[in-house]
Parts: sequence; C-alpha cells; structure tokens
Amino acid sequence: MMKKAVELVLLLLLLFFTPHIMGKRYSPPGKPTLTRCRSPEKETFTCWWEPGSDGGLPTTHALYYRKESSERVYECPDYHTAGENSCFFNKNDTSIWVNYNITVVATNTLGSAFSDPVDVDVVYIVKPNPPEKQTVTIMEDKGWPFLRVSWEPPQKADTRSGWITLIYELRVKLEEENEWEMHLAGHQKTFNIFSLRSGGKYLVEVRCKPDHGFWSEWSSTSYIKVPDYFHREKSVWILLTIFSAFIFLILTWLLHMNSRSLKNCILPPVPGPKIKGFDNQLLKNGKSDEIFSALMVSNFPPTTSSNYEDLLVEYLEVYVPVEQELMQEESKDLHGGCLKCERSTSDSDSGRGSCDSHTLLMDKCGETKEEGRHTDRASSRMLTEAQRHQKGWEKDTLTYAHGDMVSPDMSNGRVKTWPSVFSPLPQYSSNPLDKQSSLEMAKQHCLSTSSCLTQPGHSTKEALGPSNWDFCLGNKQPHLLHPQTQVGRQLQAHSEVNISNIGRKQAPAGLQSPALRSTEYVEVQRVNEEDLVLLQPVVSGCGRIEGYPQMPKGKDYSKVKGVDSDNMLLLQREVMEEDWCPGVDQEINGGTGNCYTSSTVNTTQKPTACIHTAMPVQGDMALAMNGYVDTATMCTLPTC
Amino acid sequence: CLSAVLLLSLLSLGVSSQPITDGQRLFSIAVSRVQHLHLLAQRLFSDFESSLQTEEQRQLNKIFLQDFCNSDYIISPIDKHETQRSSVLKLLSISYRLVESWEFPSRSLSGGSAPRNQISPKLSELKTGILLLIKASEDGAELFPDSSALQLPPYGNYYQSLSADESLRRTYELLACFKKDMHKVETYLTVAKCRLSPEANCTL
Repeated sequence: MMKKAVELVLLLLLLFFTPHIMGKRYSPPGKPTLTRCRSPEKETFTCWWEPGSDGGLPTTHALYYRKESSERVYECPDYHTAGENSCFFNKNDTSIWVNYNITVVATNTLGSAFSDPVDVDVVYIVKPNPPEKQTVTIMEDKGWPFLRVSWEPPQKADTRSGWITLIYELRVKLEEENEWEMHLAGHQKTFNIFSLRSGGKYLVEVRCKPDHGFWSEWSSTSYIKVPDYFHREKSVWILLTIFSAFIFLILTWLLHMNSRSLKNCILPPVPGPKIKGFDNQLLKNGKSDEIFSALMVSNFPPTTSSNYEDLLVEYLEVYVPVEQELMQEESKDLHGGCLKCERSTSDSDSGRGSCDSHTLLMDKCGETKEEGRHTDRASSRMLTEAQRHQKGWEKDTLTYAHGDMVSPDMSNGRVKTWPSVFSPLPQYSSNPLDKQSSLEMAKQHCLSTSSCLTQPGHSTKEALGPSNWDFCLGNKQPHLLHPQTQVGRQLQAHSEVNISNIGRKQAPAGLQSPALRSTEYVEVQRVNEEDLVLLQPVVSGCGRIEGYPQMPKGKDYSKVKGVDSDNMLLLQREVMEEDWCPGVDQEINGGTGNCYTSSTVNTTQKPTACIHTAMPVQGDMALAMNGYVDTATMCTLPTC
Repeated sequence: CLSAVLLLSLLSLGVSSQPITDGQRLFSIAVSRVQHLHLLAQRLFSDFESSLQTEEQRQLNKIFLQDFCNSDYIISPIDKHETQRSSVLKLLSISYRLVESWEFPSRSLSGGSAPRNQISPKLSELKTGILLLIKASEDGAELFPDSSALQLPPYGNYYQSLSADESLRRTYELLACFKKDMHKVETYLTVAKCRLSPEANCTL
C-alpha cells in the first residue's frame, strides 16, 4: 500500500514535471533583426525586420527610433500599412538628410530583446517603383522596322518638381533566347531598338533608379512581334548572285581572249642575245670560229705598235670622259665575242647583257686591248667587263660557287661594286682567310692557263681611283702547281678570286669611285731587262694579260717569280705595304706607286704577299687572240 | 482686346524667356557640378569605410549617433514639403552657404590622393556659380550682407579641438557630413531649376 502510494506520488510528480523538463520552455524572445528599409520616393519610407525566436510565448515587436542630434525616442507610427513586421514612416515623420537610429524590440512575458540599431538616412535608401505605362510599338525607318519603347516614371516619384531624378534602363530579348540585351536610356522616357530579326517576337522590360539609390524592379513584360520583311532581303540576294555570276562569266571570257598577252605580260620571255654581227643560228650550229670571226675587228687589238715605249707609261692617265666611254667600255667584253660589244653603243636591251650572255665562249675572248691609252676611268666598266669575262668563263662549264662576294649591280652595266666574283671553286668562299689560298689557286690556274683575266680593280674613293686589276700570269709555276682545272676556270677562279678579294674588301667601301681607271688593255709582249715582262696566255682563248713592266712609283714589279714553259712570266711585286695590293695600279697619277687599291682594301686587307703583276703593255699580238684582259690597272695577285 | 492680351502674354514670355534660358543653362551647369561633387564625396566616404576594420566600423556607427556636422547651424529644409515651400532664392542662398561652409574644411578631407585636392577649387567654382544665379534672380543682392558674417566660427574650432585619437571619428564625420551636404545642395538646386523651367519634365 505504501509502495503504491509512493509510486503514485512519484508518477504524479513525473507527470507534473515532465512538461517542464521535456516539453515547451518559455524564454525571452530572440533578438530581432532589421532587414531593410526602403523609400520609394524619398518622402516616406518603410522598415522591415525579422523576428527572432519568440521563446514560446506571444511576442510583440516595437520599433523605436531616434533622430540625429536628438535624444528623444519615438515609436513607429504605423505598423500595418506595410504589412507584417514592418514600420511605415509617412511624410510627416520622414525627414531627409536626417540620420535615423532605429531599433526593434521584441517583448514577451519573460523578457525582451533589442535588435542592433541601424542608421538610416532616407536619401540613401531610395528604391523607386518600376516605371509604368510601358508601351512598345513598331515603327519603320526607310523600310527597316524598329521598336519604339516608351514609359512613364512611377507614379509616386516626383520627377516633375525635380525632387527625384531617375535614370532608366531597359532590356530586350527574343522569345526563344536566354540572354537579355541591356540598354541604358538615361533620363529619357523613350527608346528605339534597331536591328530586329524579321518575324521575331520580342520581350521588353524597363526599370529605373534614382541618381543615388537602388534599381527598381523590372516592369511588367511587353511582347511585340516584328513583321516579316524577309522577302525583300531575299530578292536582293538573288539579284546579287545573278549579277556576280554574270561578272564572273565576263571575266573568264576576257581572260580567255587575252590569255596570250597576259602570259607575255606576267611571264615575259627571256631576251636572247643581240650582238651586231652575231648570228644565233651560226652559234647554234656550233662553229665557233665562224661566229666569232664575224665579230672580230681586224685591227684589234693593235699589235703593230712597235714603239711600245709609248705604251710604257709611268702612269696611266685615267679620266672619265663621259657616259659614252663608259658605255663603250661596258660593252667591251673580255671574250672575243665581246669585242662587238665594245663597239656597240649601249643597247637598251642587250647592251651588256649580250656580252654577259653565256653563249660567248671563253676561249673566244677578245683580244686584250692596250690599256695605256684608255682614259676611261670607269672602273665600274672594267668591273663589268671582268664580270662579263667571268661569265664567259662561266659558260665554259664552270660551276660557280658564288661566294659572298659583293654582288655587283651589273644590271645596268655599271658595276658599282666589285664584281660579284663567283668563285668558281667551292673553296672560294667568302672567307677572307681563304683568300690567300684561293689566290694561290687562282694563280695556279692563271699560270696553267696562261690566260688571265684581268679584272678591273675597283677603285675606291681614293682620289687616285685606281682600278685594280687582277690578273694572273698564265705561267705555270711548278711550285705553284695546283690541281689544274680547266683553263678558263682557273683563270676565272684566279681572277675571280682576286676580284673577290679585292672586291670584298672594297665592297664595304662603297665602291663607287668615280676616278676609275680606264679599261685599258695591256698586252704583255715580251720581257726585257727592264723588267718588262711578256705574259702569254697558256691557252688560247684566255684573255691575255698585259702588264706593265714596272710601276715606276715604287712599285717593284720586276721580280720575276717564275717562268713557265710557255714563256709566261710570273711577276712578283714587292710588297710595299703590309697589305696586299690586289691590283697593280697602273694609273700612275700622282706617283703614288703603291697599290691603288681601294683604301679600304688597303686597310682591310690582311698583310699578304704581293701580287704578281703582269705588266706592261706590249704592242704585239704575241698572244693569241684570246680573251683579252682588261688591265687598266693591274693588281698583283697576292701570292707573296 | 483678346488679341492684345495674347500679344502681351507672348511678349512677356519672350522677354522673360531670355533670362530663364540663361538661368537654366547656369542652373544646369551648377547642378551637374554639384552632382559631380556629390559623387566625389560618396566615393571618398565609401573608400574610407572600406579601409576601416570591422571593429572600428561598429564603433563609428555608434559614435555617429551624436551627429554634428559643421553645417548644422544652417537651417535648411529637410523634406520635400519644406523644400517646395521655400523660394528659389532661399534655396539658392542656402546652397550658397552650404557650399561656402565646406570650402575650408574640404582641404583637410582625407581619403585618397587626388580627390581631396580637387574638391576645394570645385567648391569655389560652384560657389561662384550659385552667386551668379542669385544675382540673376530678383532680390538677390539683399541677402548677402549678413551671410558672410556667419561663416567662420563654428567649424574652424570644432575640428581642431578634437584630440588625436579621435581623428578617425573626425574623418568619418567629416566625410559623412560632406556627402550629405552635397546631396542637399544638389537637391535644392535641382528643385530650384525645375521650378524655373516652364516645362513639366524638367529633370531631362
């Protein structure tokens, strides 16, 4: 019995207390929070709050505010207009540019909770209503439609008196698209939208914002359908296609009709040689003798001059008369075939070009002319000749490895730079170090071939403007023997090497020396004790080398390096300067008997040996009529 | 009789239109200038606020309860009703005084490098413009003699009296007050401008 009573009591107690322990617990309310305050027109505003937990008991909320610089606390005048958990401040209670300090208090029987205070300045919480009375119409501009959107500001916002300034923004999109296209409209209340897709259905919305405030919500959507104007576009395309097809047909027809002339225009035919007295057919037939005989001048080269003392000049007077001589000189070719060129005046299309043509054989070189008398100073001409000569050599199945020689602009016959000597041998690279060896080689070649190509030296800007001639003696020197290649090649190589050597050095100097030596052709006739050396080309067809016996001015060409069997003398010139004289400067002007190579040559040349110079002019035609050598000034090959 | 009335009204419109258009142009210029100043002030203020730590921000919020702007002595309309009740001249003069009150303190506005230096000369220009507007309107000359005497005392001493550790608060208040005053001037000028223009949508 007692137990039962105790149990009952315990049970009752449990029943009594469990609601308290496990059931609802009342507590003071949780802290509310003011979520936002907004003013639609800068005249009234509303604040909303979020209540906290109510603690299980009925809770009331109250909003209290204080205006700035005043301690008086007011309570919210209107809790209902704006809905649940809100407070509406009407016009009378709203002051602009006044800081409101607002607090919400939640109260229940157990206590109250204050929210964090919030400072509000009505000016900065303006969020207007969306624009109203929005209309969208289609208008046409020269046949192309566009949309005109117009609207009104929200009713409450007083833009008329300037109390609020609103700016608007609208957005457009096609019904099937996802992306809106935004347009800022500024203060205006209309807007035009162009570039419509024909037949498309568009959606348009507008919103507004005060100059310092928040964007309103988007207005309600307006729908508009653009009428079709597709057919107009299509017809235009059709017309365009037809027109272009027509044009295309016409063009094709024109092309077809003029195909030939067009071909001539775009790919002009290569001109053939046009040398006076030169018969192409004869050449093709292969009888070289006949060909060149037609070009030969009987009197040339003058071999009858017995008085070669005339020829022995201390110096060569070289002056450049004028273009004529230049042209004449240019036309000269070392080959016999070039003799014609020499005579011919500049031919517009084949002047020197013909001389340069490969049809001229090497061993048909023209006779060398005496050089002494020539007053042509154009070294460029000589250069040209040399080049032509070279090219003639080239014809002789020479393979030229074009060194990095200066490529002369021979195109117009004026070799401004040292002729781009094609080094016939592969080793004739542009390596200046090779020079010596190459020269030696060349020398060998010269010796072997006994026909040398005197290359016009390219005078530099030196006042003397000597043109340096390279020429190699066509004497075979045993000690200088090198593998002999073809005569022409050797000579070519030699001369080319010389030229190259010279030219290389001279090229940077800008070989445009006006005071060039005349293209004078020297023929070595004989040797005498006065160191007159007669050089004979070993092989006919090479240019003869004529050299001066001696440079009176300190140039010592009297040293004979060697003689070959064919009475070819290899003269060696004393090295006067440290640098090699690529050419014997025959032009004794002023008596500087040094190598009148280009100054640059002098300066840039490495000290090498002297060059052998084939000297003086001989009158007789001891040499066969081979390729002559232009030796205005002779440059000694650096063989020392 | 009717035609005479019509003629007269047209003439009066014609006569009055000229100063109105000039005034409108000047107003537009003044309004745009003050708008620019207000934007500057807003930018300064937001920069300053973002440079603060959150703790400091909370403190400042509390401090700002005791609002005290240097321009508080200038009585100005604080709602639309009052503003619309005020005459154009009154609005202009209040604007003038507000702008003038900031000429000196704006030099000490901190917040970035360049904006601070631009503000003072801009205020001077604006002040000149408002003066022009005042003179252009009627009864302009009467207001000025007394207004000049009021400028100096309040703010000059106020801001210098604060101690060093309150410089943060002072800067905050300075920037906030400046921003508010600029907006006030902007509103007054806009309202005055719209009041003068005959067309309805004057804010365009």
